[in-house]
Amino acid sequence: MSDAPVAVAAAAEWLLEVRDLKKSYEGGRIEALRGVSLGIAAGDFLAITGPSGSGKSTLLHLLGGLDVATEGTVLFRGQVVGKSSNADGAGSIDLDTYRARWAGFIFQSFHLLPSLNAIENVQVPMLGTGGHRHGQEERARALLVELGLEHRLHQYPTQLSAGERQRVAIARSLVNNPQVLLADEPTGNLDSVNSAKILELLAEVQARHGMTLIMVTHDESIAASAHRHVRMRDGRICD
Amino acid sequence: MGIGAFVALVGFSRSFEHAWLEMYESAGTDLAVVQKTFLNTSVDQGIAPVLARIPQIQIAAPMVINMMAVTPEVNTLVYGWKADTFEFSALNILEGRRFRDGQQEAMLGELLAGSLNKKVGDSIDLQGSEFKVVGIFRSGSALEAGAIILPLDEMQSLSGMTGKVTAFHVQLKPAPAGVSPAQWRQQAETAVENALPGLRAVPAAERASNNQLVTLAHAAAWGTSLIALLVAALGIANTMAMSVFERTKEIGVLRAMGWSRRRVMALILVEAGALGLAGGAVGVLLGWGALSILGALPQTASIASTTLPVATLLEGLLMATVVGIAAGSVPAWRGAQLSPVEALRHE
Repeated sequence: MSDAPVAVAAAAEWLLEVRDLKKSYEGGRIEALRGVSLGIAAGDFLAITGPSGSGKSTLLHLLGGLDVATEGTVLFRGQVVGKSSNADGAGSIDLDTYRARWAGFIFQSFHLLPSLNAIENVQVPMLGTGGHRHGQEERARALLVELGLEHRLHQYPTQLSAGERQRVAIARSLVNNPQVLLADEPTGNLDSVNSAKILELLAEVQARHGMTLIMVTHDESIAASAHRHVRMRDGRICD
Repeated sequence: MGIGAFVALVGFSRSFEHAWLEMYESAGTDLAVVQKTFLNTSVDQGIAPVLARIPQIQIAAPMVINMMAVTPEVNTLVYGWKADTFEFSALNILEGRRFRDGQQEAMLGELLAGSLNKKVGDSIDLQGSEFKVVGIFRSGSALEAGAIILPLDEMQSLSGMTGKVTAFHVQLKPAPAGVSPAQWRQQAETAVENALPGLRAVPAAERASNNQLVTLAHAAAWGTSLIALLVAALGIANTMAMSVFERTKEIGVLRAMGWSRRRVMALILVEAGALGLAGGAVGVLLGWGALSILGALPQTASIASTTLPVATLLEGLLMATVVGIAAGSVPAWRGAQLSPVEALRHE
């Protein structure tokens, strides 16, 4: 693990890269990000920490295409995310495609759809990409079994424990085989036992599926288990 | 409720139109000679010899029609016919006899006689004049079954139309060899309109759908239904707006999972359409129930049919679905415009 500030290299070296990223709200009155540059290699496990309001969640949202920057660029495999082109002539990926095919999300409050059972929740991202319904169900079932939920396939979110809900959410994030997994305080709503299990699971999943994991957390001990760790303060990377 | 109103009102007005058509068809009327103007049409009875000279015409029967109150609650159609008109051929006299011209005599349709509890020998008051019931008849047309028929001259006097009639109902001679019935009828229409400028010769089916009463009934039914549909659309729009608002976070999850704006919009529109369709199905049942009630009430039994036409049913369901989708389009568009982050933060 390295705590050193991350240098920006050529786009081709990074799976995901942000250049001089700025994000402001209310016509510039609130500056959440004040020029962040960062490169993330394929297979990395990056932890982002910082106090509340430091901009860590905003950075995660921009990295995952959930929001668009006020200024600056997000590049995925050298292609601009969410813009038609950039000054360097790089290609682009639209936000919907990026979120559907390349990025998977895990949220602190799970965000499962209450009217769908576990296996249906896991299938939701696949419904946006087409494909055969039976194949989608098999894929969702396999992931839930892999995450130890073989007996909870048809349970609704309210019938699951918090730890089980987060495992369903992890299965959902993996279902389209993303290259980047983005987790926003994934253990924030769990007790210490379940937190440890989920972290262990995420590390296993990341290793098994060979994907890049970017995790926002306020817990330094969790960040210590990451390959790389960046700290943020006042909208900038400070360490 | 909008679809219920549509089914009941439009179904009612279509029953009315159908009853007119039945009346013309059962009597064998080919054409009706009427004024070109739309409201308050009346035709000079003195044109009868002109019509009689038109080679295609076999019989031209003068007739008057009006709506009159027979009790404070019941209004009914009253016809004025000549005692020897061909239109009697469609009627089956169940009791009594046909009236005589120039006499204060009336014949009652069996439906009306039943609801007024009148029989042959009784009398009936029409606009202050007393008429003796001389016959009870059965007719295939609901309009006639619930109507009164008076001698033409008595009806003209009662309606202040002395020397005037509402229309001449015309039977044509058989078409000669080599001329199709449609061509023959067309020739008759042209001959009437050439011989009598200012008058129209209207085919029976067109007269059934375009006469003043039917046209006004259709207009009133559609107008009222459209207002009810507008209210229903506002209701669906409100429901969908609430639904989208309550499910903003859910929309955020779908967008975060890569669902495009178009797909989210389609989801909301499908829900709105399904809501409209389900409401429409309930509305069709309510409308059918209302039609059944109208069919049982003495005031409307002569006009309303309890049979719900398939076309009205399908129109009602289609309209409900379209109204649902239209009403859901603004909430759908607004829901789809939300950014995932904005939607996920929604409480």
